Amino acid sequence: MEKSNHFLTLKDICFSYNGTNKILTNINISIERTELIGIIGPNGSGKTTLLNVISGILKPDVGDIFLQNKNINHLSIEKIAKLISVVPQNNWVTFNFKAGEVVFMGRMPYISRIKGEKPEDYQISREAMRKTHSLSLSDKNIQQISGGERQRVFLAKALAQTPELLLLDEFTSHLDLKYKYEMLNLLKHILKKEKLTIISTFHDLNLASIASDRLLLLNKGKVEKIGNPVDVLTEKNIYKVYKVKPILINHPEFNVPQVIM
Amino acid sequence: MRISKKYLFFAISVLAIMSLIFSVCFAEKTEYPITIIDDSGITVTIEKQPETFISSAPSNTEILFSLGLGDNVIGVTNYCNYPEEVKNIEKIGEISPLNYEKILSLNPDIVLAYGGFQLKDIPRLRELNINSIVLEPLNLNDTFRSIKMIAITCGVPDKGAILVDDLKKRVDNIKTKVANIPILSQPKVFVGGTSDTIFTPGAGTLFNELITMAGGQNIAAGLSFWKKISPEFVAEAEPDIIIIPVGAMNQEENSKIKQMICARSGWSNIPAIINQKIFIVNEDIFYRAVPRLVDGLELLYEIFYE
Amino acid sequence: MNKSFTHNSGYAHWKKKAMLIILAGTLVTLLSGIICLNFGAVSIRPGEIISLLLNSNNYDKTKSLIIWQLRAPRIILGILTGAALSMVGGVFQGILRNPLADPYILGVSAGAALGACIGIAFQYITGYAFASYLPLFAFLGAMLSLYLVYRSSKISFSANSTGLLLSGVAITFLFSALITVLLAFSRRELHSMVFWLMGDLSAANWQKINIITLPVIFGSILLYFSSLDLNALALGEEEALHLGVNTGKLRIRIFLIGSIIIATIVSFTGLIGFVGLIIPHIARLLVGPDHRIMLPIASFLGGIFLIFCDVLARILVSPTEIPIGAITAIVGVPIFIYLLRRNRQ
Repeated sequence: MEKSNHFLTLKDICFSYNGTNKILTNINISIERTELIGIIGPNGSGKTTLLNVISGILKPDVGDIFLQNKNINHLSIEKIAKLISVVPQNNWVTFNFKAGEVVFMGRMPYISRIKGEKPEDYQISREAMRKTHSLSLSDKNIQQISGGERQRVFLAKALAQTPELLLLDEFTSHLDLKYKYEMLNLLKHILKKEKLTIISTFHDLNLASIASDRLLLLNKGKVEKIGNPVDVLTEKNIYKVYKVKPILINHPEFNVPQVIM
Repeated sequence: MRISKKYLFFAISVLAIMSLIFSVCFAEKTEYPITIIDDSGITVTIEKQPETFISSAPSNTEILFSLGLGDNVIGVTNYCNYPEEVKNIEKIGEISPLNYEKILSLNPDIVLAYGGFQLKDIPRLRELNINSIVLEPLNLNDTFRSIKMIAITCGVPDKGAILVDDLKKRVDNIKTKVANIPILSQPKVFVGGTSDTIFTPGAGTLFNELITMAGGQNIAAGLSFWKKISPEFVAEAEPDIIIIPVGAMNQEENSKIKQMICARSGWSNIPAIINQKIFIVNEDIFYRAVPRLVDGLELLYEIFYE
Repeated sequence: MNKSFTHNSGYAHWKKKAMLIILAGTLVTLLSGIICLNFGAVSIRPGEIISLLLNSNNYDKTKSLIIWQLRAPRIILGILTGAALSMVGGVFQGILRNPLADPYILGVSAGAALGACIGIAFQYITGYAFASYLPLFAFLGAMLSLYLVYRSSKISFSANSTGLLLSGVAITFLFSALITVLLAFSRRELHSMVFWLMGDLSAANWQKINIITLPVIFGSILLYFSSLDLNALALGEEEALHLGVNTGKLRIRIFLIGSIIIATIVSFTGLIGFVGLIIPHIARLLVGPDHRIMLPIASFLGGIFLIFCDVLARILVSPTEIPIGAITAIVGVPIFIYLLRRNRQ
């Protein structure tokens, strides 16, 4: 096992369903602590699959993933849950739990099934809701709040899990404009304060460009380019992957490339 | 010595009366305790003469009454309907599952039970220390045996013997008459029902036995027990006589039933329908293993040959 | 009903809450059981019952027999059955994420039914005491269907709940078809088979209670400890995995333990319907979907509900008894609809 200085390393990752449908090929990337990595690429390029492989619920055919030098393939999912938490794209809940109860479930990796929870589990849950501005929703029925409100609740849950690595799948898709930016600011803030590392898939290139420290551009399951937004969002790269000739301008405030249609 | 006629007459009468008293006092009584192996294969010991009976089957109720023990019957099922007096007797409920609470509360000396689908309820009855004997007569001989078993159990073996003798005489009478009739002259018989789905009794059923005894040829004799058959089977068999057993006899209903049978598609060529030989009968006297079976036998002979 | 997360004080520790529920539930159930003892084909006054309970020696032999040998085991069987059906129904609804699931959906009951019907068909061979072997036939049938469902869904156990559900439904259909064929060929035993299928508490005795009690209670406690995992599963298969719940193992555990509990109960009582489907929903309407609270509440509710239905079943047209499965539906549906409407407001 190689010793690595990086926080998260993906080495030669290949994944396919049933060995025939190759989704990911030869993924080799390294990510540092407190980075916010944005994964971009067209539909079907393997963004969500890559996220699922990193989170351990899909096992790669070939390759290893090291989180702080621990091989994720060799960890039980209970142990992984203490290190990695995920905010999914779809957030439908079958039963009418209250939002507060859903956030509390984030503490599950730490709660003994027989002994039950401790008072700090409630404190952590409440704190997570406060950070995501969802405390006011805590007694509301999770099935009856809006999609955007639900996303905030699920973010709170993921934070309550006190992970080292936070994975988000198309997190801002359901949010109002106001909340899109607010949440991205929040993520950045949490990143620095809690020493979290965040990987998020983005559908919106501009948002990804603004939010991320580095971008990972996927093309049909392969890494097309990983690097600063300036290096990744080039006319050449975008044309190659998206088959569109974009107009790129510089964002006046954030100094990152923005794509105009 | 000159024996007066009067004297002789007197002596003979006394002797006669004494032997009558003798037979009444001794022969009519059962010696208790008795042990019986009933139809469930269990050996039952009856300590003393039972005074109160519960019957958990309509057949046992009829037999009890025919033995003159009706006054001692304290509980019957919802389905016991013969004779008329049964209406006023306390009901214990269904034949299965048995209502143990009700039976216990009536505190019977003995329960005259049934096999078949009641058999599984009997162990519990015995667990609760209720004396029970199981009767499961499957044919005419079994019926006679049941009558005798009930008679012995309840302390009237003589009445049982007399009743069975009488029934056997009537059966033999029919048998003799039938013995002279060649098989080819015997009518083909079909036993149907009032619903579109046809269930008919084959070999091993009481009905089939009675038909054969009464000189009929059951078209379903090749099948065993009760079987569902198709209308084609009946049409093909071309029965000479159709018998429809019903629950309650009702003039109006009966003629409607006959019409329905005649109108049944595919049956127009059946001799029984052409010759209007459709007979509606009371099902109880053919389904129950009771003395009335012999009434049924005689009714069948009448239908076939008169 | 649950205390708010926004308030620090007042949120009782889960353990205390659970203890309270179990204590209160046990008391209410005991009380209900004693009330139900008063009813039956024979009228026995409450005063007599109390003296019988306290001092059963110098009393009317018949009444004592009725209370101790007939009604008491029947009520205890009813409580165990109602509780087990509700617990397993609730747990299956959680594991399959399907509000229409009931304890019979995963195939075990169809196996038990087929076993019982075969046992009844063979009564003429096994002889007089076959009735005491009947539960064994039923249980073996249940184990057969358990095995078949397990094998056919084994591959997808780790993937999701759909494979398990489909296997259960398929095996149920297969066994039901076999039962139908058996019924068609068994005119003599038809009555017994149909009555077994309808479900019945009247054959209860202490021997059966002794056999059933430990496995059912032990199994239910094991199921209860999966409550948190079931809560997580409500968020979705992947979500539960992200929370560290081993969903594949959870499914196997729940399926096996739940099925054994149901097999045990059904082998003795037949198929009593509706309770396992509706009581968990009523419990959710009353106390919310958190399985740690809902499951015990559902168990107690189920037990109490079933024994009161049983009372109705045996007194309405006494001495005939109405099949208990019919009463549970006739009584349960209006209650459920009422609660649904109240919940909307």
